[in-house]
Amino acid sequence: MMVRIFIILMALVMTATLSLAQQGPLRIEITEGVIEPLPFATPNFVAENGSSVEMGAQLARVVAADLQNTGLFREIPATAYISNVTDFGSVIQYPDWKAINAQALVTGAVNVSGNNLTVKFRLYDIFSGAELGNGLQFQGTTEGWRRMAHKVADAVYSRVTGEAGYFDSRVVFVSETGPKNKRQKRLAVMDYDGAGLKYLTDSRSLVLAPRFSPTGDRVLYTSYETGFPRIYVLDVGSVQRRVLESGEGSISFAPRFSPNGQTVVYSQATGSNTDIYTMDIASGRSTRLTSAPSIETAPSYSPDGNSIVFESDRSGAQQLYIMSANGGEAKRISFGQGRYGTPVWSPRGDLVAFTKQSKGRFHIGVMRVDGSEERLLTASFLDEGPTWSPNGRVIMFHRETQGADGRSTLYSVDITGRNLRPVRTPEGGSDPSWSPLQK
Amino acid sequence: MNTGQIISAVGHAILIGWMVFGGIFRTEQLPIEATEVSVISGEAYAALMAAQDSPTSQNEVAQPAQPVADNEVVDVPASETLPEQETPDSAPAPFADDAPDVSELIPLPDAEVSDAAPVLPTPEPEVAVEAPETSETPVPQASVRVAPEAVTAPDPEARRDPVEQDAVEPAEVGETVVEPQEATAPEEAATEIVTEAEQPAAAPETSLRPPPRRATRPAVQTAETLEPAAEPVAQEQSGFPAVEDALAEALGQVTETPRAPSGPPLSAGEKDALRIAVQDCWNVGSLSSLALETTVVVAVSLTQDGKPIVSSIRQVGSEGGTSASANQAFETAKRAIIRCGTRGFQLPSDKYNQWKDIEMTFNPERMRIK
Repeated sequence: MMVRIFIILMALVMTATLSLAQQGPLRIEITEGVIEPLPFATPNFVAENGSSVEMGAQLARVVAADLQNTGLFREIPATAYISNVTDFGSVIQYPDWKAINAQALVTGAVNVSGNNLTVKFRLYDIFSGAELGNGLQFQGTTEGWRRMAHKVADAVYSRVTGEAGYFDSRVVFVSETGPKNKRQKRLAVMDYDGAGLKYLTDSRSLVLAPRFSPTGDRVLYTSYETGFPRIYVLDVGSVQRRVLESGEGSISFAPRFSPNGQTVVYSQATGSNTDIYTMDIASGRSTRLTSAPSIETAPSYSPDGNSIVFESDRSGAQQLYIMSANGGEAKRISFGQGRYGTPVWSPRGDLVAFTKQSKGRFHIGVMRVDGSEERLLTASFLDEGPTWSPNGRVIMFHRETQGADGRSTLYSVDITGRNLRPVRTPEGGSDPSWSPLQK
Repeated sequence: MNTGQIISAVGHAILIGWMVFGGIFRTEQLPIEATEVSVISGEAYAALMAAQDSPTSQNEVAQPAQPVADNEVVDVPASETLPEQETPDSAPAPFADDAPDVSELIPLPDAEVSDAAPVLPTPEPEVAVEAPETSETPVPQASVRVAPEAVTAPDPEARRDPVEQDAVEPAEVGETVVEPQEATAPEEAATEIVTEAEQPAAAPETSLRPPPRRATRPAVQTAETLEPAAEPVAQEQSGFPAVEDALAEALGQVTETPRAPSGPPLSAGEKDALRIAVQDCWNVGSLSSLALETTVVVAVSLTQDGKPIVSSIRQVGSEGGTSASANQAFETAKRAIIRCGTRGFQLPSDKYNQWKDIEMTFNPERMRIK
């Protein structure tokens, strides 16, 4: 009996030992890689008729600019091409594109017929030798050609990165002219890349802090038209506006829409105290959310609408706090040295962007909603007013240079801190607010 | 010897055998992390300060020109010239918003795909895309490329290649025949992303901004230190180790009998060389944040000359993220294997049976914190 048990146990040991010795395929673990822009090629879109040639080139240039401006892609110049795409349906010569190290290829075709425009595109993964997703076709008018180019770029971005794009979006901001002591300000709206600029107000009265609605059709802003700040809601298409009445004898500012677009959260100063309120846009009924003797301002909703992040000096210096959307006890999330302000919740819900003033410099930074993993992305004489791209990947803000003639300029930066770049505006710009992706 | 002692002896024998052969005492060589510190001169620091407000650094690429034919394009004037849209001192007229002018997306049929190699002209090695990226205002420790090891700006004449080698001219005289070759050098790279806030700059001592509105308030009661960032949770690798595979097999849970490689195993150095070859092409820069939280295991078979068989590349496992992020991570890993394997991985041919089938685990955990 004992011998039998011993044999069985030894057999088990031998089996396990032999199994361990047999290793199957070679296994290695890769934990280090590189971070660099992905090389891509975008030949001019193929013209399907004679009147489409110029449009084909313009579309390709806007698509390429969109992708390149993200900092995640690097366009390969056309002068390096070995073969070209002359027919949208032709077979792709992968070796030609591999030879110039293109990893992605965007091909397109365009057809202009009167005022109608049709754009097709395909995306190829060169080293896999296969199409990445199906080809798509867009139809519209020639006036909207830039939007169609942005749509193509959004689709390409999404397929390569796995997250939504942000190119077919707009930015409302305060356009500024003149020296600092005599600066004229007015609201303007433009495509995210600075094209298609239109003014929404004149420069007779001071305007501040425009904020897009979740649907992108309305804008909240603060105007000193009557001599003291009041909140207005403006329809972007018709440029019609109306004032949101707040309490008598109070000053209202820093408004922002709730995620459902039906409520506005804002700051209201009464006497020396400033607190956070909400207002139902339809009924005009307001609700007070904070009642501390300190200054609470710059509220911003979480994407689910359940929480609000705001700045307060209740601890003695400006810090960031989060409370329920219905008010109540707030939890402090910023603990670093310096002062924190203008918090904005990411559309993804995982991060809060903020302005930080420390040691005489201003920074735009991000932190997780629990206050951890704070990271400063910029540093300058004055950086302020962050706003998130619709996909939560990029932050736009304004930077002001020193001196009486200092100019305020819009900038954008990736949340990794890479790809800091100015945004083109014809005049100075401040207080940007990014719209959601257009439908 | 009684029964209890026998059972105890056998049990101990099993335990000892298990520990010896099961790799309990085997140790993995931990990666050595080193932080590079560079000392900059006063002149370099002055140049850095001068560049602070300049958008010409490597990360501040100028906006590309927009098509001039577009009526809506707004050029960036250097002066304060006002654009045509300006209507000062008068309210703006309503305008028709760019209402939905994009139609429903219509899927197109699949394109014909051909892998047949055309007759290629000899590619010029000095194509424009290979040109090194240069900047008139160099920013120390910052680079467009982030790689495991920092690389200084390469010789502009050298072709970009992970392997650095000197140019060799054909020998005119002498007995030894030397094949001519181009000089190659790896792309310039930094070891981590350097944000503007992390670079030294000309910071004013005091701000022109108004002081805090309530500067006389009592001191902050809460500790003014950053909460430590949560330590990333170590990726559980229990699904991958050979131990579990062997156990499963011993318990009869494996239906497919894996091919047992024969011949001498690869040395640690040979494995490292393969790992380095792949990681040089593993570009996670365009991955979504969710895909950066996804570990994928990719299987690939190699030909005898070390080239990956593209059709054999498949995802055999993933951990973290979603199926979409796993797919994204797999595509990036697949691209890395194909790109860096184009010329064949440098592996010992006499050990082909050891490396003809490989499972590569791509774990981006370290890349998330670059």
